[in-house]
Amino acid sequence: MPRVVINRKPAGTVTGGLSSKPGAQQSDSRSSWLAAMTPYLRNTLQAHLGDCLEEIEEIRLRINRPLIIRLGQKEITITAEGEVTAELSCGLVLTPQEIGRNLEILSQSSLYAWEDELQNGYLTIPGGHRVGLAGRAVLDKGALKTLKDISGLNYRIGREIKGCADKVVPFVVRRDQICRTLIVSPPQCGKTTLLRDLVRQLSDGVASLGFGGVNVGLVDERSEVAGMCQNQPQFDIGMRTDVLDACPKAQGMIMLIRAMSPRVVATDEIGKTEDLDALNHALQAGVCVVTTVHAGSLEEIRQRPVLKDLLRNRFFECLVFLSRRCGVGTLEAVYDGDTLERVR
Amino acid sequence: MFKVFGAILVIGGCGYAGLKMGWIYRLRTDTLRLMQNGLNLLETEISYGATPLPLALRRAGEKLGGETSIVFLHSSSLLQQNVGFTASEAWSAGVQRLKQEVPLTKEETSILLLFGNGLGSSARNEQLKNIALAKEQLNLAREQAAEERARHEKMWQYLGFCLGAVIVLVFI
Repeated sequence: MPRVVINRKPAGTVTGGLSSKPGAQQSDSRSSWLAAMTPYLRNTLQAHLGDCLEEIEEIRLRINRPLIIRLGQKEITITAEGEVTAELSCGLVLTPQEIGRNLEILSQSSLYAWEDELQNGYLTIPGGHRVGLAGRAVLDKGALKTLKDISGLNYRIGREIKGCADKVVPFVVRRDQICRTLIVSPPQCGKTTLLRDLVRQLSDGVASLGFGGVNVGLVDERSEVAGMCQNQPQFDIGMRTDVLDACPKAQGMIMLIRAMSPRVVATDEIGKTEDLDALNHALQAGVCVVTTVHAGSLEEIRQRPVLKDLLRNRFFECLVFLSRRCGVGTLEAVYDGDTLERVR
Repeated sequence: MFKVFGAILVIGGCGYAGLKMGWIYRLRTDTLRLMQNGLNLLETEISYGATPLPLALRRAGEKLGGETSIVFLHSSSLLQQNVGFTASEAWSAGVQRLKQEVPLTKEETSILLLFGNGLGSSARNEQLKNIALAKEQLNLAREQAAEERARHEKMWQYLGFCLGAVIVLVFI
């Protein structure tokens, strides 16, 4: 059985990409997601992964299948004997009881209180982390009512890397003006983490650029950016940021513009037709939009129905491309939205 | 003089034991009534506020007060400690704590434990059904406890003093 050698590093350091900046700090989010697990799993992870807990990006628990832990692009498991290995089939097999117990603990034995979240297929736990759920859908008049018989859990560990947007901010803030910005990358390349830090810096200001900070409205449809839990953001999103949590993006952007008069509206993962109206509404109101989209390249954006219109109309003034080439959040390129020329 | 003092002590002691036995019947009916009130409070928290269970139990316990609140407060505290207790286990521990304070019968205890088994692990309407069922069963148990109280409370109170008097008469 191949044993996995894990680079043990002090907490707070991350590999490559945007996060490699010396000043970048990673907040200690270890205890918050561990508390949403059964003591058995919690102890197993703590005993065998130790310092590497900070590097975990995903933990997948599936009934009668092995525990799978993803560290960057590497997948590992822990055997019943406590050995860390890449041979996933040798991993600890999880019983239905263990999954059920996990669900109870992570929902604080209050599934009834998370009915809306269950409809969306995930729960947000303290610390801003998300646990995706797979199970049997319960329909009511054809619409998804809730999930039952949960068979799989996916703990997605949220990362807060303060300073990871330092390289991007000079392209977004130009002479006290904020550019409408689109962050582009394939999934799991650090879009949300970058957006979160960008929101924080736009809200708090950037002393090195002589930028004092502005009011930011954040529409956090999937509770990923701010990680709101009991009315409190679990990540630092800046002192001038108002969050509209779990609200549909298009509706939320218009609501925030009307209600909170922000200078910047930030939201994650646009792409629906109704988003177009909300973006145009923001443009007419003179509000800047900072948002993200799943895509691998400029060419891919040009082929998407909604995005190609935005690109043609020169809606975005700055396009930021990320990848995992040198680790999560590698800044691949920055394009000028007007000329579509690469500026970095 | 010593005889009189001893007689008073014996009658007083036996009378107190009798009163205590009678008081246990009263305590049981009061506990069952208060438990129903507690479940009403919990129902409100779950149905209107969709309050997470640890907080809902704590609020219900704080409003309730008295011995019965120990079930709500103890189970809430166990859940809030985040040490891996499920709602059923935490509630069960709370019921065991209550049993140390109030001599509940096996049937009454099993109603409470059965209620705990379904606590928190299903949708809101299922939770409300579980509460309604427990309240109904507690109501029946309370009626039965009230009947027993009516039959035995006075009897134990008199019996204690009478037994004390008999002992005094035998020994004089």
